[in-house]
Amino acid sequence: MTAADDHNDDIALAGEYALHLMDADARRAFEARLDAEPALRALVVEWNEQLAPLADNFTPQTPPPAVKARINAVLFPATPSRTWSLWRVLAGSGLAAVLAVGVLVMLPQDPAPTPFTPSLTAEIAAEDASLIVLASFAPETGVLRIDRQAGAANDGRVLELWLIAEGADAPVSLGVLPDETQTDIALPETLAQAISGGTLAISDEPLGGSPTGVPTGDVLALGAVVSL
Amino acid sequence: MTTREDVENMILRVGLGDRAAFSALYDATSAKLFGVCLRILNDRAEAEDALQDAFVRIWQKADSYAVNGYSPMTWLITLTRNLAIDKLRARKGGNVDIDEVHDLKDTGPTPEAAAVAASEKSRLDGCLNELPSDRADAVRGAYIEGYSYDELAARFDVPLNTMRTWLRRSLIKLKDCLS
Repeated sequence: MTAADDHNDDIALAGEYALHLMDADARRAFEARLDAEPALRALVVEWNEQLAPLADNFTPQTPPPAVKARINAVLFPATPSRTWSLWRVLAGSGLAAVLAVGVLVMLPQDPAPTPFTPSLTAEIAAEDASLIVLASFAPETGVLRIDRQAGAANDGRVLELWLIAEGADAPVSLGVLPDETQTDIALPETLAQAISGGTLAISDEPLGGSPTGVPTGDVLALGAVVSL
Repeated sequence: MTTREDVENMILRVGLGDRAAFSALYDATSAKLFGVCLRILNDRAEAEDALQDAFVRIWQKADSYAVNGYSPMTWLITLTRNLAIDKLRARKGGNVDIDEVHDLKDTGPTPEAAAVAASEKSRLDGCLNELPSDRADAVRGAYIEGYSYDELAARFDVPLNTMRTWLRRSLIKLKDCLS
């Protein structure tokens, strides 16, 4: 067999490979050669490029939306946020129990009449904007005003608000959000001082709020506290 | 209008694990790739599965794209077509039902807006036309319908080994003409 014959053999083999005509065994053997022979790889690429005009015969058709959702579910299974995982670890450390200073009492008030001059704010939002809560804090009065602009608790569940103070090891519950979209929460002084530079978060919890003092459900939304 | 450069950039970004780019790549190319799966598998549910497998593979293999030398659509179509053909072969279990073998004449080219340069297309057509027509049809059938050697032999009513020899010689001639 001459070198030219060998080359023609490779041309035919690379063409068969590009057309996907080989059976599994032949394919494996050819792929082992491909790993070792750049020239053969180049020949396969060349074949695929030269045959590509035949792909005009594949008429585009929009796939049903469910396919994309399935692909995302396979590749990116819903994982709790990183912050949430950190909370889990910290909860196990016992620090959380020390720092969770007890469930605060919500003080539903009429937000309108009292003068409210916030200097800190946080937009606590879900990534997909399915839940957006605007929080404003007025240090003089210690009032944290909550304005839920989008989203609500799931049926039979509640939304619980948490403060992760700057440098803190664990979140502290600021209480369960009421059904009303607007409410004021009076923060005790220790928390009022900790809110600046912190992060507010909302988790999905059973009725009555987290039974453990740390978030037990998914963290739905997060937002950093910034100066106004 | 998504350009070749757009698709190329999306693939490169997917190779870096960029999910937004992956979503954009899906939106830009899934209709074409679904067309590939539908044509080869001729079954909607199987075509959807093949498309899903293709995009999972694209996510996993995009990081090798930059060095493999392919133009972006050729790479995507080649990957998808091979997966769809694997599914087709698995379904048929290697047995060819003559009734299932489509008449190549009935499934001839249905041109769409050419994504590939017209000159390349006419060059391929010109070179295929230099082959005896049944051999050119065999090459087209292998590419467009994903026919195996068994199916091609059945369709053209020749022994399997004859079909192999035919096709290999045709490929050598074709390459000579294209190069």
